[in-house]
Amino acid sequence: MAGSGTAHLRPRDEVLLQVEDLVVEFPAGRGRTVRAVSGVSFDLARGETLGIVGESGCGKSSTARALIQLPPPRAGSVRLDGVELTTLRGEALRRTRRRLQMIFQDPISSLNPRRRVRDIVAEGPRVWGAAAPVNGGVNGGVNSGVNSGGAGRADGGGLDERVDAVLEAVGLDPRTAAERRPHEFSGGQCQRISIARALILEPEVVICDEPVSALDVSVQAQILALLEDLKARFGLTLVFIAHDLAVVKNVSDRVLVMYLGKTCELAPSEELIARPAHPYTRALLASIPGSGLGLPPADRLISGEPPSPVSPPSGCRFRTRCPRAADRCAVEEPEIRPLNGGDHFVACHYPDI
Amino acid sequence: MIILHRLVRLVIVLLVVTFLSYAMLALLPGDPVTQILGIGANDEARAQLRQELGLDEPLLVRYAGWLGALLTGDFGTSPITRVPVAAELAERLPVTLELLVAAQVVALGLAIPVGIAAARRAGRALDQVLTALSFALLSTPVFVLGVLLILLFAVTWQVVPATGWTPISVDLGWNITSVLLPAVTLGCGQLAVYARLLRADLIATLQEDYITLARARGLSPRRILWRHALRPSAISLITAVGLNMGALIGGTVIIETLFGLPGIGRLIVDSIFSRDYLTVQGGVVLISVGYVLVNFAVDVVYAAVDPRIRRA
Amino acid sequence: MRRRLGLGFWIATGWIALVLAAAVLADVLPFARYDETLAGPPQTGPSAAHPFGTDGLGRDVLSRVVYGARVSLGVGIGAVVLGLAIGAPLGVLAGYRKRAADAVIMAVNDVALAFPALVFALAVVAFAGANLRNVLVVLGVLGVPAWTRLIRGATLSFAEREFVLAARVLGVRDRRILWREIMPNVAVPAASYAFIGMAVVVVAEGSLAFLGLSVQAPTPTWGGLINEGRTLMETAPHVVLAPSVVMFLTVLSFNLVGDRLRALSDVRQSGLEPVRQAVAVLPAAEPRPVAGALLQVEDLRTHFLTPRGAVKAVDGVSFTLERGKTLAIVGESGSGKSMLIRSVLGLLPGTGVARGGHVHLEGDELTAFTPEEMRQVLGRRLGTVFQDPMTALNPVRTIGTQVAEPLRVHLGMGRGQAREEAARLLASVGIPDPARMLGRYPHQLSGGMRQRVTIAMALSCGPDVLFADEPTTALDVTIQDQVLRLIHRLREERDMAVVLVSHDLSVVRQWADEVIVMYAGRVVERGTAADVFERTRMPYTEALLQAAPRLTDPAHHRLRVIPGRPPDLAAVPDGCAFRPRCAYAQDRCAEQAPPLLSEGGHLHACWYPTGRTMTENEGADSHGR
Repeated sequence: MAGSGTAHLRPRDEVLLQVEDLVVEFPAGRGRTVRAVSGVSFDLARGETLGIVGESGCGKSSTARALIQLPPPRAGSVRLDGVELTTLRGEALRRTRRRLQMIFQDPISSLNPRRRVRDIVAEGPRVWGAAAPVNGGVNGGVNSGVNSGGAGRADGGGLDERVDAVLEAVGLDPRTAAERRPHEFSGGQCQRISIARALILEPEVVICDEPVSALDVSVQAQILALLEDLKARFGLTLVFIAHDLAVVKNVSDRVLVMYLGKTCELAPSEELIARPAHPYTRALLASIPGSGLGLPPADRLISGEPPSPVSPPSGCRFRTRCPRAADRCAVEEPEIRPLNGGDHFVACHYPDI
Repeated sequence: MIILHRLVRLVIVLLVVTFLSYAMLALLPGDPVTQILGIGANDEARAQLRQELGLDEPLLVRYAGWLGALLTGDFGTSPITRVPVAAELAERLPVTLELLVAAQVVALGLAIPVGIAAARRAGRALDQVLTALSFALLSTPVFVLGVLLILLFAVTWQVVPATGWTPISVDLGWNITSVLLPAVTLGCGQLAVYARLLRADLIATLQEDYITLARARGLSPRRILWRHALRPSAISLITAVGLNMGALIGGTVIIETLFGLPGIGRLIVDSIFSRDYLTVQGGVVLISVGYVLVNFAVDVVYAAVDPRIRRA
Repeated sequence: MRRRLGLGFWIATGWIALVLAAAVLADVLPFARYDETLAGPPQTGPSAAHPFGTDGLGRDVLSRVVYGARVSLGVGIGAVVLGLAIGAPLGVLAGYRKRAADAVIMAVNDVALAFPALVFALAVVAFAGANLRNVLVVLGVLGVPAWTRLIRGATLSFAEREFVLAARVLGVRDRRILWREIMPNVAVPAASYAFIGMAVVVVAEGSLAFLGLSVQAPTPTWGGLINEGRTLMETAPHVVLAPSVVMFLTVLSFNLVGDRLRALSDVRQSGLEPVRQAVAVLPAAEPRPVAGALLQVEDLRTHFLTPRGAVKAVDGVSFTLERGKTLAIVGESGSGKSMLIRSVLGLLPGTGVARGGHVHLEGDELTAFTPEEMRQVLGRRLGTVFQDPMTALNPVRTIGTQVAEPLRVHLGMGRGQAREEAARLLASVGIPDPARMLGRYPHQLSGGMRQRVTIAMALSCGPDVLFADEPTTALDVTIQDQVLRLIHRLREERDMAVVLVSHDLSVVRQWADEVIVMYAGRVVERGTAADVFERTRMPYTEALLQAAPRLTDPAHHRLRVIPGRPPDLAAVPDGCAFRPRCAYAQDRCAEQAPPLLSEGGHLHACWYPTGRTMTENEGADSHGR
């Protein structure tokens, strides 16, 4: 699958975030490296939600961390509103990075157990002081939205009010929640606190890395609904990463499917589910029990186990498990290309059309 | 590959350890010549001793020469006793080794059943008693314990001699009698360490999914304990044995002094008081190198028993 | 937090405070000075004038012990502060900066740890001079490697937590992250180790003093007092016993305080202390075995007795299961579904549990079996697979040994025969090259392969019922499909029954014949898969189904939100447990718990069941079978 290529990118002036040929490597011991992400490109328009889906080891979380430059990618470019992040260093990087915020999978581990919720949420504004809003209300920022007037934002009283307002926006009662510590909250509530911490800085892009994977179904629905509400209210742009296609489809405008560090398919979410073209996307969908999509059983679409990321297969990386694989797939890596000239892109020599 | 890596590290550690042992005594404040001969010595004797000790050369050169001699077994000759240090050490070493081995046997021999018994009944009365006892033992300095044991067994009940040493070559029975109390004293502190560790480790292991699944397969508690739980815990125990060698060796110095055993530790202490600088250095080097080698052996054994490390 | 520290902690703290106060105030305390000879008759035992007696020169032993505390505690506190002052910055640097700084610091540290500390202390003090400053500095410096290692470990474990990453994303500077995010977390283990370190140093100083290599006479030291007292052991044992006991109590107190503080930060340990209560038996109805059922569970109860009260993990669950069927138990975390399986299998902890009810397997009442009898059933007639294949296999035993074990124990096979059979079993669960696999260790296998191995183990003795507790939750979706398909195929081939525990409604919908929905330890709905999913009666089941996103829903489809969270099992509300979250709840729901009522075999526990028929996604294809 694996494809590389940038045919699916939109013109630069139409997008808020553009990622091109991203490469992330990790040391794998004995001088070897693993390419967790290998030439992935995508972009995001303002107010859009991009879903990234794939199984463990596909590089989706590494992609998320490369976006915020923690750690910076090995190669490739990440442009936020025209600013190239990968070449920024030190103070400039720190200033720009806050425009991207992140929500993590483990709600417990992402909150400092020894700090009060008020301090956790107020940390961003405290660090940035009066300069907090970075995008001057371009998308009707959180603070102007929930806290009428921006007067006295950074002084003590104003900060408390801002924290209360943002806690309320994520569905927590500031009177009871603000003075407590994370261990007094359930997983879902902790995830709300994480969201509040991210939102108070009025980020332009919020990266959600498996934000509901650790939660029960009923709580998952609460958090998904909250994210949708907040997005509508504050005009957020989201990158939503998950392994569950049904969850990703529910919140995303477009979905990117990854396998072993490569891009397989990118399409509007309805289109992807209705007409999956890449063999791996089809296998993924067919593996979901009771998907109701009329696909053949999964064991006819995929076989075996994912290969080691240390020594990935030549050519298309999915070929070792793909029922359609031919000789060409072993020698030539498929480039990503549009289907029907529309907004559906696939990286496969023999897509299902 | 891993063994090679560890060997390289071993050599580096050995070089550093021997260098520090050498440099420490050579660099410390106070002129060793004055320390050895006293303030009143005449210049001629001082110059002779300086040369004898090789104190005129730069430190690294002296170290290299000293190390070279060391490798041939030449630890120098004590300027105080006029006896080769190597000979003195060779005579003392068996006593210390026997004490160490006997103490480890006592410690492990008691710690394993105690740890298992406590872990199997975690939270119940027996476990609480054993845990409290081992905690108390852990907090008893070795010389306090030694004094108490002497008071009880040698002074009050007079079952064993308080001090003195009979080598194996002279009489096996008396040898055992003379090593018994020192070994128990020295082993008890380790016993507490090992038993606590084994208990905690076993309790954690017994809560693992694979133990629950072994129960779900209808295996007997005895089989689960011996075949499934003890092996991972034994690996932790091996590490602890290695890590505690330092404490144990430190303990021999005390024990040998307390019980009047003619071992390396006592030799070092006696030599300190007689300002026999070369003998102290020789003893420290021997103990340090021995300690490093034991730790290396533990590392190798550890890698051999734990498949996760062997293949990593 | 105060209560968790326990009485021992406060007694120990009190003792340390007492010794410390005495040492500080020694000059004004009403006893003879430590060096005043013939303050009383020599070698006399404890008396009102000399509570600890007098030594060979008639000096007051209490006074000497108290002055000795000045040296012991002074060196103890001083050396720990010194070790911390050098070791903590190094440890933080190594743990937070990682890479080069870490490699260098830890390499040096490893070498430093390879020294026998006491022997070195001895030599250094001997040559540098035995006085308070030298002893303190040597013991302090020798403590540095341990401090560095401890602080590094603690820093490292927190530096990799997501909240530190989140702070960096917020744009917080490293210095602030260290002070605000990491330091408060490292402080607890550091405080704990400070006390344990003081115990270590007090003992080390005592050892040096005992050898005559600490502060020199006439200043008394504990070790020195014990050494002196030794010679009078036969005539005046109190001279050696008094400092020994005081020293022991002090070291014990430091260790105890350190140990309790560590327990505060150590989650695993705090979970280890169960409430000590004998196994209690809860009253249950007389057994009424159902003819023809393979497995029958009647009114099963499992309550955990905790300080907060009885946690009703399983509270009156009944069901029957026939051969060749799959029963799914579904619910959210804390609904008691996993505990139900463990209760059926009798795999509960031995203490702090109250249980009741009956389990019948083909007419045998398992709940009345002795442990020995039960072992003949487990593994042979009941097989088990757990959620996480990473932890389900013993990491230090080979696959072959583990798969062959039940064959040898239960079926009495010889080594060779068992290995052959094990290879055959591995092949039957789809493991390629099974003969080679026998010699491998679990960590060399992928998660999917490991789960296949645990299935092979569960099936090795041909069980009648396979219990699978979230067997695919830790696996990727494509592997999940393979494993569930495998379990289904094996059920057909072997004519077993399967009990499948899952939180995933779509898994249950595709693979189960019958479904039990659990909430707060009770069954709230039970019936065939079609009954439960398409003719849902219980509002909770309905809400769960509408809360889970489906592929066939349009993008941005509004999911049903269930407010609140599941109840605390130690304090389940009166009436219906789901009432506080239920959209249809009325007054009656708060007053009376709804009984589990049957409508033609479809059971539900609700006063106002929903009548809605879910047709839209009906028959969500059974192509997978």
